[in-house]
Amino acid sequence: MTGDSALATLWRHRWLWLGFVRRDITSRYLGSVGGMAWALLHPLALLAIYALVFQAVFKVRFAELDQFPFVVFVATVLWPWMAFQEGLMRGTQSVVQHAALVKKVPFPHELLVYAAVTATFAVQLLGYTLVCVLLGLMGQALHWASLGWVLCWLVLLYVLTLAFALGLATVQVFLRDVEQVLSQVLMVLFYATPILYPLTLAPAWLQDIMRWNPLMQILDALRQALLFGLGSSALKVGVMAVAVLCLFWMTRRLFRRMSPYFEDMV
Amino acid sequence: MSEPTVLIRLQGVGKAYPLLHTGGRKLAHFWSLLRSRPSGEQFHALQGVDLEIRQGESLGLVGVNGAGKSTLLKLMAGVVKPSTGTLTSHARVGALLELGAGFHPEYTGRENVFLACALMGLSRAQTLERLDDILAFADIGEHVEQPIKHYSSGMVVRLGFAVATCVTPDVLITDEVLAVGDESFQRKCIAWMERYLSHGGTLLLCSHSMYHIQKLCRHAAWIHDGQLKRLGPALDVTREYIAWHERKSAGDAVGALPEGQSAAVVADTSIYHVTQLHLNGTPSSTAVELPMDAQLHVTGEVYSPDDRPPMVASSIVRPDGSPVFGVYSDISGYRAHRIAPKRFAFGLNYPRLPLLPGSYVVRAHAMDPEGMRLFDQVEARLEVVGGSRYEGVCLLEHEWFHPQ
Repeated sequence: MTGDSALATLWRHRWLWLGFVRRDITSRYLGSVGGMAWALLHPLALLAIYALVFQAVFKVRFAELDQFPFVVFVATVLWPWMAFQEGLMRGTQSVVQHAALVKKVPFPHELLVYAAVTATFAVQLLGYTLVCVLLGLMGQALHWASLGWVLCWLVLLYVLTLAFALGLATVQVFLRDVEQVLSQVLMVLFYATPILYPLTLAPAWLQDIMRWNPLMQILDALRQALLFGLGSSALKVGVMAVAVLCLFWMTRRLFRRMSPYFEDMV
Repeated sequence: MSEPTVLIRLQGVGKAYPLLHTGGRKLAHFWSLLRSRPSGEQFHALQGVDLEIRQGESLGLVGVNGAGKSTLLKLMAGVVKPSTGTLTSHARVGALLELGAGFHPEYTGRENVFLACALMGLSRAQTLERLDDILAFADIGEHVEQPIKHYSSGMVVRLGFAVATCVTPDVLITDEVLAVGDESFQRKCIAWMERYLSHGGTLLLCSHSMYHIQKLCRHAAWIHDGQLKRLGPALDVTREYIAWHERKSAGDAVGALPEGQSAAVVADTSIYHVTQLHLNGTPSSTAVELPMDAQLHVTGEVYSPDDRPPMVASSIVRPDGSPVFGVYSDISGYRAHRIAPKRFAFGLNYPRLPLLPGSYVVRAHAMDPEGMRLFDQVEARLEVVGGSRYEGVCLLEHEWFHPQ
């Protein structure tokens, strides 16, 4: 049991994992008439606000806007960001939220984190697909040929989210403050990551610091691929993949090391 | 025949919960766990338990609330990791620590069955295969399409147990699950458990119903203050446990006189009092064990301040003080005989004591020669041992017959 890889665990308990994912998705919209439409509407509303504030009020100008409307520029990374942000929040809370199960039923607790993150990604990426298709239909020239790169970076984003979520979920069991701190950090991170603006808009000295943000790397690569059809260097993908997998390995180890004590604390 | 295989083995197993009140302590606890060092204040829910669960075993757990029964079950179910000792398990354990754990109130019964089955390790196809059986066992009719939040607690339990019946684990662990269902459902569950046991299943049952333990379990373990106080045949352990409860609830009342007798008990030289009491020659300080239908000699000495032969009363009561039998020596015109100045000896013979196995107390009282006043009370503990499926305290002569 202790030596199982994450994939082996997922495969062995795939039905339970799928059950958790299904429940995670449906329970969010239980009793609401709008159902999953809300999941799509929420980022759309945000997009509308950002467009209004940054374009109409602040009148931001940068080179990319000569080619693309602001909305398209932001939309290409807003949904992946939402998937990361919401997935991380839900993943962090997942163990504590299922306290009744953790206390009473033996099962690998990591499934809860995987399910919470997976459910969020499923919902947000569905929204992402719909928006991209919609933009395409509206005549926006997106580079569909670079879909392979897009998928590649989305997978990395998914694993990165899982890695952070596993680590934070572990600490959250012991210290409920994590959730509070996390929502603040995510808000700062949203503006510190070039989502509403291109990296080039930041002063040069700040750019060097911002490049260390793994999210910036992933989101920027996504945008480059979709808007300009630019691929990424194998080196960059390789380094990112190794870094993300290392982080995942470490946080998963931490999670599994501490998970026998969860029952004491939840 | 070879010994059945050991499915779960506990060696010196203990479980301590950290007592964490402040955030700082929690942080320190997290840090100490990371470095695998025990930290600070702890509550020991369980200590030094040695136990082996063999294939085909049926073990009942008894004990007061908070004794550590549930913690022990959680340990064996694999929900909790022992803090000390080692626990090895070679079995597929099905744990019903709480029926309906994992049920979501907003979902219908049918939807909840799927996740509950997945928690038990079933695939969707396997669940679909067994769905009809599960719903038939639960027998909650049309309610299965209703959200669980509209269910009564009994209905939730029905559905929860029904899910358990569809997977047949090597070891089934159940914690107080029979208590909520109604009479007919309890019978159904018991019938299922009996069938499961007869097919070689292994059962761990925690219950406050001694009836269920005696009916379903071969052995019982009495957990007290986090320790294994007694492990043995279910009948013996439950009986001892009940006796302990009766003594406990009698509490300070032990030593008080039976109702309606209000004499002051003062052990001085001015009143009649029993100075010695023996059961079959054993002094009253030690409990005496007897099989059923054995001979019992109650003997003793009484001090008589005026050297007149006193009257003696003796009775047998349950540990809680409820009477079984009482007798005054004057009923048979008996008088204690003088063995020394102011000292009188008495003897009472029960040739075949018809008491059922259990704990009892034999009492002796000294009375004045007129039999008007009862002065004191001396007690000796008596354990009637053996196996018996009779209920009550004594065996009445009886036979079954076919009425015309």
